Amino acid sequence: MKVRPAYQLPEDKQKKLERAKRLEWLTIFFMITIVTVMYLAMGSSQAMKAAWAEDLLSLVPPIAFLITAHFRQKPPNEKFPYGYHRTVSIAFLCAAIALATFGSFLFYDSISKLIKMEHPTIGMIELFGRQIWMGWIMMAALIYSAIPPLILGRMKLPLSTELHEKTLYTDAVMNKDDWLTALAGVVGIFGIGLGWWWADGVAAGIISFEVMKDGFGHLKEVIEDLIDKYPTKVGHDDKDMLPEQLQYRLQQLNWVADADVRLREEGDVLTGEVYLVPKTETNLLQKLEEASELAQTYHWRLHDVAVVPVSSLGQRNGNHRSSS
Amino acid sequence: MWRAPFWLILVILTCTGCNITIPQDPEQTLERIQGGVIRVGAVENEPWVIRVNDEATGVEAELVRMLATELDAEIEWIWGSEQEHMEALEHYKLDLAIGGLTQPTPWSNRVGFTSPYFETQIKVGIPQSAPLIDDIEDLEVAVKEGTVIASYVEAKDGIPAPVKEPSQAQGPVAAAEWELEDWGFTVTDIELHTEKHIIATSPGENAWLVRLEQFLRTQKSSIKRMLQQAEENPL
Repeated sequence: MKVRPAYQLPEDKQKKLERAKRLEWLTIFFMITIVTVMYLAMGSSQAMKAAWAEDLLSLVPPIAFLITAHFRQKPPNEKFPYGYHRTVSIAFLCAAIALATFGSFLFYDSISKLIKMEHPTIGMIELFGRQIWMGWIMMAALIYSAIPPLILGRMKLPLSTELHEKTLYTDAVMNKDDWLTALAGVVGIFGIGLGWWWADGVAAGIISFEVMKDGFGHLKEVIEDLIDKYPTKVGHDDKDMLPEQLQYRLQQLNWVADADVRLREEGDVLTGEVYLVPKTETNLLQKLEEASELAQTYHWRLHDVAVVPVSSLGQRNGNHRSSS
Repeated sequence: MWRAPFWLILVILTCTGCNITIPQDPEQTLERIQGGVIRVGAVENEPWVIRVNDEATGVEAELVRMLATELDAEIEWIWGSEQEHMEALEHYKLDLAIGGLTQPTPWSNRVGFTSPYFETQIKVGIPQSAPLIDDIEDLEVAVKEGTVIASYVEAKDGIPAPVKEPSQAQGPVAAAEWELEDWGFTVTDIELHTEKHIIATSPGENAWLVRLEQFLRTQKSSIKRMLQQAEENPL
C-alpha cells in the first residue's frame, strides 16, 4: 500500500507549536495543583464539588493536545498509511463523553439536593494553630482556581487560531471562562455564610449545567469532525475559505477549463481531492503533476491532496446516483 | 461581566465590615439556644456519656454542660439510640447528639459533625513486669470481647484473644492509651488505630457548629484529664 508522505509544519508554525506545548505542560501543572487544593477544601459544598469536577475535566484537552503533538511526529507507515491525525478526534470523543456524562450526573445531583432541601454543613478548620471557618478557605481555593487558567487561556487563544488547532482552542476557551465557575462557587459559599442554604445548590446547578453543556457541545463537534464535515474556522461554525480559495486558484490555470475541490479536516491539516477539467490532453501528465505541486504548496495546511482529471464536473453535487 | 468579581468583593467587604457574623444559621439554632434550651440527644457510651437516672455525665456530657453555661442555656437530655438521634437532628428536632461518636460515620451526609476534637490512640499495653515488645506478630493479644479492636490486632498480624475484662490480662492487651495507663499497664509504641472523636449537630447550622467547635478547642487540653476522672469516679 502506498504510504502517505509525512507532514511537516512550516518553521514559524513549528515554533508556535513548541510554545503551545510548553503552555499546555504549564496548564497541566497548574491544573493539578488546583485540583489538589480544591479537593482538600471541598468539604460538603456541592458547588465546590461541581467546580472541582470541571477543573478535573479541564485536564483533558491539554492532555489530548500533547498526545496529538506526540503522534503527529510519527510518520505514516505500512500499518497506518493515513498517519495518526485521527488520534486527537478519538481522544476528544472520549473526553466529550466523560464531560457530558459527568456534567449530567452533577446537574441531577445538585438539583435533587436542592429539592430535598439539604443544608450544607461547613465547620471550622485548624490552620497554623488558628481556627478559621472552612468557607473562607473554600472561597480562597476557588479564587486560586480561576487565576492561572485565566492567564494561560488568554496566552493560548491566539496560538490556537494561528495553528488552526481546535483542541488548543477548546482548551483556551475553557480556561478563559473558568473564572465564571469560580465566581459562581464563591457566591454559593458566601451565600451559605449568610445563612442561605440554597445558594450552594443553585451555584452547583449553574456550574454543572455549564459542564454538561460543554460536554454535549464538544460531543456534537467531534462527531461532526469524525464524519468529515466541511472545514470550519477555529471556534466558529462558519465555512473555512481555504477550499474555495484553492478552487479559484486552480481555475486560474490556463490549461484548466474548470476545477472543484473536496476537502476534509484532519486536525489542523486539510486533505482530500481536487477535480480538474483540462482544456486539452497534451502534456496532461506533466500538467497534473504541476497542479498537484501547486495544491500542496498553496497553503501550509494543505497536505496529500490528490489531483483527479475529469471530463466534466457534473457529478460534483453527488446526485448522480439518484438520477441514474 | 468583567465587573462581577469587583462587585462581589465589595459585597463581601461590606458584609464583613458591618455586624453580620459569618457564617449564619439558616434555622437560627444558635440564636434560639442563647438564653434558651439546648436539646441534646445522648447515647450511653462510657466514659463519654454515662446515664445517671435521667441526667447525663461523662466527658461529652460535661463538655455540653460547660458550653450551656457559656451560652446561658438550659439542657434538655433526650435518651435514645444513635439512629433515633440522627434522624431527629436531620429534621431539626435536636441540636446536638453525643455518645462517643468517632470518624468515619455513615451519617456524615445527613447531619453536621464537628471536626475531631480529641483523638485517642488504640495501643498495645503490657503488664509492668513483662519484657517490652516491638511488634505483635503471631503474639496473643487480649481485647475486649465483641469489639472492633480485635480486627486492629489482626491487621498487625497479632492473634486477638477476646476476654470480658481486658484490664485483668496477664499478657499484652490492646485498648485505648488512657485506659491502659489507667489499668496500670506499660504502654508500648505499637499503635493499632486512632479514634477521632466528634459531636453531631443539626445539618447546615453553621453558626451553631462554629460556636461549638470554638468551645471544644478551648477545652482541648483538659479532655484527657476529664477522661481519667470519668473513669475513676463512674458515680
